[in-house]
Amino acid sequence: MAETKEKSLSDEKPKPRVRPIVRLGIFLISHSFHFSVVCCTAGVLALFLLPVLAKNTYISENALMPGSASPMLSNQHVSDGNRLVKDLTNPNSKSSETGIESHKIIAQYMLDLGAEVSFHKFHPQMNQFHPLHFFSSPDSGKIQENYSCSSYGINTVGIIRAPHGDGKEAIVLVTPYNALKSGFGEALSLGIAYSVFSLLTQVTWLAKDIIWLVADSQYGEYAAVAAWLREYQTPKFSSLSTPNAEMCPDVNNLFELKGHSISGSKFSNSFRRAGTMASALVLKVRDQNEQFEDTISIYAEASNGQMPNLDLINVVNYLAVHRQGLRVNVEKLWSLLNSSWLKSLGEIFESLAKVAKSLYPKWKFGIPATEYVEGTATLASSLYYQALGVPTGPHGAFRDYQVDAITLEISPKFSLDKVWRNDILLRGGRLIEGVIRSVNNLLEKFHQSFFLYLLTSPSKFVSVGVYMIAFALLIAPLPMVAASLYVDANSSSNCSKGDSSTPSAITDTDEHSIAIRSWRWLNSAKLVFIVHLWGAIVSLLPYFISQIPDCSPTTSFMIWVLLSILSLLTLNSVLASPLACAKATQEKEWALVKSVTISSVFIGLGLMSVINFATAEIGALLMVPMCLLAQPLKLDVRAGTLRSFCRMICNLVLGHIAFPPAAFFLLKGMLDGFGNANVGDFWMWVESLWAWNSATYLFIVEVTYIFSHG
Amino acid sequence: MEKVKKKIGSFSFWNWVTASIIFRLILIYFPKNLNLSSRPEVSTPLTSFRRLAEGYWLKQSFMSPYAGSMYHGSPLLLSLLGPLTINRIEGQPNHLLYSLVSVIADVVSAMLIRATGQNLRLAYLRSLESLDLVKQIEVSGDIAALIYLCNPFTIVACVGLSTSPIENMAVILCLYGACSRLIPLAAFGWVIATHLSLYSAILIIPVIFLLGCGPDSPPRKLFLQRHQQKEVLNQSKLPPRFSWGPVIHFAFWAFLWSVYVLVLCGISLKQFGGLWEMFKSTYGFILTVEDLSPNIGVLWYFFAEVFEFFRNFFLIVFHVNILFMILPLAIRLRHRPCYLAFVYVAICSMLKSYPSVGDSALYLGLLGWFVNELADMQFSLFLFCGYVGVSLLSPVMHNLWIWRGTGNANFYFATAMVYACLQIVLVVEGVSAMLNHDRKLRNLITGKPQDAKS
Repeated sequence: MAETKEKSLSDEKPKPRVRPIVRLGIFLISHSFHFSVVCCTAGVLALFLLPVLAKNTYISENALMPGSASPMLSNQHVSDGNRLVKDLTNPNSKSSETGIESHKIIAQYMLDLGAEVSFHKFHPQMNQFHPLHFFSSPDSGKIQENYSCSSYGINTVGIIRAPHGDGKEAIVLVTPYNALKSGFGEALSLGIAYSVFSLLTQVTWLAKDIIWLVADSQYGEYAAVAAWLREYQTPKFSSLSTPNAEMCPDVNNLFELKGHSISGSKFSNSFRRAGTMASALVLKVRDQNEQFEDTISIYAEASNGQMPNLDLINVVNYLAVHRQGLRVNVEKLWSLLNSSWLKSLGEIFESLAKVAKSLYPKWKFGIPATEYVEGTATLASSLYYQALGVPTGPHGAFRDYQVDAITLEISPKFSLDKVWRNDILLRGGRLIEGVIRSVNNLLEKFHQSFFLYLLTSPSKFVSVGVYMIAFALLIAPLPMVAASLYVDANSSSNCSKGDSSTPSAITDTDEHSIAIRSWRWLNSAKLVFIVHLWGAIVSLLPYFISQIPDCSPTTSFMIWVLLSILSLLTLNSVLASPLACAKATQEKEWALVKSVTISSVFIGLGLMSVINFATAEIGALLMVPMCLLAQPLKLDVRAGTLRSFCRMICNLVLGHIAFPPAAFFLLKGMLDGFGNANVGDFWMWVESLWAWNSATYLFIVEVTYIFSHG
Repeated sequence: MEKVKKKIGSFSFWNWVTASIIFRLILIYFPKNLNLSSRPEVSTPLTSFRRLAEGYWLKQSFMSPYAGSMYHGSPLLLSLLGPLTINRIEGQPNHLLYSLVSVIADVVSAMLIRATGQNLRLAYLRSLESLDLVKQIEVSGDIAALIYLCNPFTIVACVGLSTSPIENMAVILCLYGACSRLIPLAAFGWVIATHLSLYSAILIIPVIFLLGCGPDSPPRKLFLQRHQQKEVLNQSKLPPRFSWGPVIHFAFWAFLWSVYVLVLCGISLKQFGGLWEMFKSTYGFILTVEDLSPNIGVLWYFFAEVFEFFRNFFLIVFHVNILFMILPLAIRLRHRPCYLAFVYVAICSMLKSYPSVGDSALYLGLLGWFVNELADMQFSLFLFCGYVGVSLLSPVMHNLWIWRGTGNANFYFATAMVYACLQIVLVVEGVSAMLNHDRKLRNLITGKPQDAKS
């Protein structure tokens, strides 16, 4: 088949010598259909193979040396922690309305240990979507002007200065704590942190300062941590710009009280800093639990699919499993665990691996089917959370400042006796101590291990080099198809001209058509550009709509839809009615439009894979078939064959599924049943996405304009 | 970029000019969000606005503007633009006056490009007429001017407060003067362009050709062949032979202007080490690649990696690279001096030590002059997509490297390499398309069947 094709090609163009690479290119382009089918299937298959290809994690930074020293946390420290828990859960400490009392207790405890203590007052800042902030520096430190005194939070910060350190580096320990309605779990997490803190005041090996941040989580855990980090990283030098929270009498009152009741010079009203942060740990204890053993869940996804360095997760995993005997969990998509098709797929892979092993004993790549299913579920959730771009916990705030951070959530066996509580305090405390000791050993910031990876289990990961193969296979057809369409469109015009014109009869019009030929794609480029422009406008609209006060989600969604249509019409009329001219085009023109669209999608997907791999992968799964199948409906109707009919149906279905609102409804319908789906939900969802400045949001718009091509 | 070409049909030239100016003004009013002036693609150590302000400040406090290796531009720019870096108007963006100067420079460049393009078009029509070929040709001047004005690269360089709009204006002034035979103007443009950025010096070759034989035309051989066919040798229809008069005139004026510029520089740097200091920290800085901060060129990475021992050797290799290409190109394209100038500018912007997008903006604008000749250029879609892709990918890679910390320098350098490759493809394809065009004209005259490729 290939040879005949080549022969026919060489018959058409009798060129003396064609370089092999050009010949390969021509071959690929002429077989773009088969090629794209093969590549797409291979891409999807490779995606499902990822759990099999996952490697075991290893600690690649030698300086970490986890678990090399025996833990020093003793029962003495545990009983200290217990005391704090008891004091916090004591009913009379909750009497005050604002929860100031419990903050006072915590601060007093810290001071007793000899730590530097300060309070950080903050106003919860809503996440503002700003269209152009993606490429600028992480935070320009904008402060909103209109604060009210009624809503502010207080973070309590304790700092231990390292006896051996130079104060240039620090390790952060965060415990979210809501003073107003704290559960027992939160108090317990404070207890663990306190016991570690009390140990760290005594040890001699400390080389980095320790910051313990008790984040006031009444306005959300993330907001508190983000506000503290913003203050930490963007120092204000002028006195004018101090937050006007100081003006509020209520707050000042608190500090006067403090001044009287707390003795000692280590307390200060001003913001206290230590060095640059080497890493951060967020510690939580879950209240209720159905597990049969003590487990610890690791949350790592930060905004826009960024992950902390793999070494941090490795250290936690190693210490938890091998030293403290805790079970380590990472998030899974639970619904996938019971799916039968995944199980059978896993069995197929397993049997394939067995066959391969029998053929050649050194091939050992198979994993058991159950493990495969679990790996896939973990991988799916890893992909999902990275693609969504919304951080899974307060650790997300750290990643914006290039600090590696994870959230550890300890979920203990459910019982209430004191022995058990001490046990959890001891093991949790020792785990934290071990991690801090490892990080303390670091000479430079985390850089050895991976930043770009997907987890398939706490101890297995897929690195960037492996998962990129799946993605590359998936999008490889795009440039091929674009090139073949382009070549077809050009050569068909060439052929028709070649018949009519002999060399002797070259006329003016012919010359002109030559002049246009190689730049004819400009028209299609213009069309594509206008649709992209429209997409950009539509994506910026919610920013302005959200400025309108008092809007229910449904009405704002309606406004959005209306404005989008309006902007399309305006663009259409202003820029010389591109769509009308598209309608008048023939098949050739259409092929050019498709070719330009596909190349722009290719560029977009390539960019997105660098920014946020998971989004690009999911987007590619949706868009690649859509791009490859897209064909004007009119032509399909005219052709009237079964094949074109099938293609038309595919197009319609794909086009509707991939249209974001439709996709959202389908998903929501599958999850909650169709009864409670509502247009307003979509608005809320989109709003939550853009609030996180998510790249996904940009992507949705990209899908939208592809749809408008269909 | 080139898409502007088609839009002209429905919109008049001036509408697009005003639209592009308004677009610039809108962007100037949102400088905080864009933060363009700190991007490595826009501001190099030579063109950075911040460095200009620093140099001015140093000079105001009676220190050498070149102290501390911050400023590396011309002392004349300090005197002309320096005051604009600190002048503020209440309630307006910080650098409004300076931005307005850039906008004006852009518009003036576009107008000069337009006038030159009209000159070239007339010359092209005249030569076609004397070859007895009738052809419908596009208004290349308008197209080139619009490409220059609406090119995102130009806009970014203008809004990003770099000095490259002014350097570009000097280059275009030189070409315009040479095309319309305003010899003092051409000499002035050349001297200023060379003074501002060393690489423009090689434009002297196209300028000499322009002054000697007039603007672009098909090869002289073609005319001779044509007239041999007709067997009437009409001397008046032949393009003029090379004449040395205007060239000597040009040399005289160039000498005069350079003495003038040097004297001005000497006066302004009298207390601070004089001219030698200036040469050392402008031309010396360019030639020795002292600053290795990342930019879209390839030299910073290379010289960050190279052993100190080999440094001088590779410095020579890289700079001779440009000189090597001068002679063959000059011989092959001597009948098309403007195109030669375009190719030189493109090669310089590829191989210069501190390239920025402003340089690409210049040669892409000049490319518009040759829409008629380059109609058959291959890989146009590929090049277009490549430019779009690279210009989007480069900030993303920079973000990954600098802000997120997940990437590293190799990521960013990869895009720089791709960008260099694209420019190479553009130059190669452009030159071969131009040669093919000449070949096609020859075939039309001699009546041979046309073959597409050599």
